[in-house]
Amino acid sequence: MSASRTKRWRAPLASVSVFVGLWYGLAYSLDNNFASSDGSALIVPPPHKLFEGLNTRTVERIATATGISVATAFTGLIIAVVLGSALGLFMASARAVERAIWPWLIAVQVTPVIVLTPIIVRIFGPSFAARVFVTVVVAFFPIASNVLFGVRSIPQSWRDLFVLRGASRAVTIRELWIPASLPSFFAGLRISAGLAVIGSIVGDFFFTRGDAGLGRLINYFFLDTRSGPMFVTALIASFVGFGFFGVAGLLRKLFVDPWHKP
Amino acid sequence: MLSITAVSHSFNGAPAITDVSLTVQPGEIVAIVGPSGCGKSTLLRIAASLLSPDAGEVHTTGARLGYIFQEPALLPWLRVRDNATLLADAASDAPFVESLLARAGLTEHRDKWPHELSGGMKMRLSLVRTMAARPSVVLADEPFGALDQITRHHLHDELLALHSTQPFAMVLVTHAIDEAVYLADRVLTMSPAPGRITATTTVPLARPRHAGLRYDANFAAVCGKVAASLTAAGA
Ligand SMILES: Nc1ncnc2c1ncn2[C@@H]1O[C@H](COP(=O)(O)OP(=O)(O)OP(=O)(O)O)[C@@H](O)[C@H]1O
Ligand SMILES: [Mg+2]
Repeated sequence: MSASRTKRWRAPLASVSVFVGLWYGLAYSLDNNFASSDGSALIVPPPHKLFEGLNTRTVERIATATGISVATAFTGLIIAVVLGSALGLFMASARAVERAIWPWLIAVQVTPVIVLTPIIVRIFGPSFAARVFVTVVVAFFPIASNVLFGVRSIPQSWRDLFVLRGASRAVTIRELWIPASLPSFFAGLRISAGLAVIGSIVGDFFFTRGDAGLGRLINYFFLDTRSGPMFVTALIASFVGFGFFGVAGLLRKLFVDPWHKP
Repeated sequence: MLSITAVSHSFNGAPAITDVSLTVQPGEIVAIVGPSGCGKSTLLRIAASLLSPDAGEVHTTGARLGYIFQEPALLPWLRVRDNATLLADAASDAPFVESLLARAGLTEHRDKWPHELSGGMKMRLSLVRTMAARPSVVLADEPFGALDQITRHHLHDELLALHSTQPFAMVLVTHAIDEAVYLADRVLTMSPAPGRITATTTVPLARPRHAGLRYDANFAAVCGKVAASLTAAGA
């Protein structure tokens, strides 16, 4: 490992240390944070007591919830990618189409997911499809708008090149629009990846039947005043978000970074 | 080969070019010089049918059009070799494209991405891409404008060498009078507001032309004539 490699980790390591320090500070400065009987954490468990309240049953529940939330977020994100890209390309094909669709996208975008979810659950019932639907609604907008922006930003000379080639609409979309909009697509995907995880967890609050996802589980631990498991669940939720974000970045590194130098 | 008759075009009511006519014979090189904004690119885009004029006609009977843009306009997601073959007919043209790449000194860079090339290399690749389609009429919009003089002079000679083995007609838009005279059979002077052709200067210099010609008195005399026509046009 070279010197520059080690240097790269210095700043993140420092910020993690500060974070853990603040966490300890908070845990030990709160009044009545620890039970007088056995010293277990009641409000904010310090890092080393995080796993105290975890029994096999709880670990199983967290694992199941993580599985549900990951599956929901992943399926929703895939659909958001397909739907968002298709909408972006469709809007880019004509100004009239863009003007017809864009207001609806904004309307969906500005309506809080908390408001939409009960309606979706009413329509679909508390099914996996409903969870995925909520996630798609939350996640597709950055992809649609970034693909549209990417196509709109294609230089005139590249467009002329394809006209001179006598390229059909299909060839132009496949060989010009899609590759040219990849950089902005991936910029959108990074945002959407995070949103998909948020969507799957927020939406989950309304699913009162079936297995709980991470959202409902956090709520359950909250109502049960079990701080340890609640914090563990919250941490896992943010790790899942991290993972999605990371995979999106990795795909970008693979497919765009070699040729794209802004 | 290419004939443009009484073409006019306006952008949002502002006339960009008015009543421009131009005929190019097979194998002929015609240069257009004129100040920035006088409508040279507009005229070229109309000639290539990338823009339809408000009035007038464009005929390109049986011509294969090649277009060289003001900037290299390479597709960044295609490697050098794939940019070079973008406009070529088929795989059967691969040896021809390879020979063009070799002439342009790009063979050893064929697996690179466009962003790894220097400005001059990018422009050479852009020329290769256009010539790979074996055009019979080349429309070139200041193809050497962004290059240093050494590279520019080198590319002039490459272009003339290519032209002598595989004659193509060419309309070359340029800011540089010496470039126009060195390459062309005829130099048209364009003046602004609105863009129109105000003078035609025939270049009575024999081909093949070689670099030494630039220091010839006859060459300087023709350049002087073109410069005078530009001044007269109020440029
Ligand atoms: N797409 C466009 N929309 C509106 N006006 C335009 C457009 N393209 C060109 N023009 C105008 O038409 C006129 C001629 O432009 P053009 O690009 O043809 O000039 P040019 O001679 O090629 O200039 P340069 O030497 O700087 O490239 C200019 O006044 C320009 O502002
Ligand atoms: Mg121009």
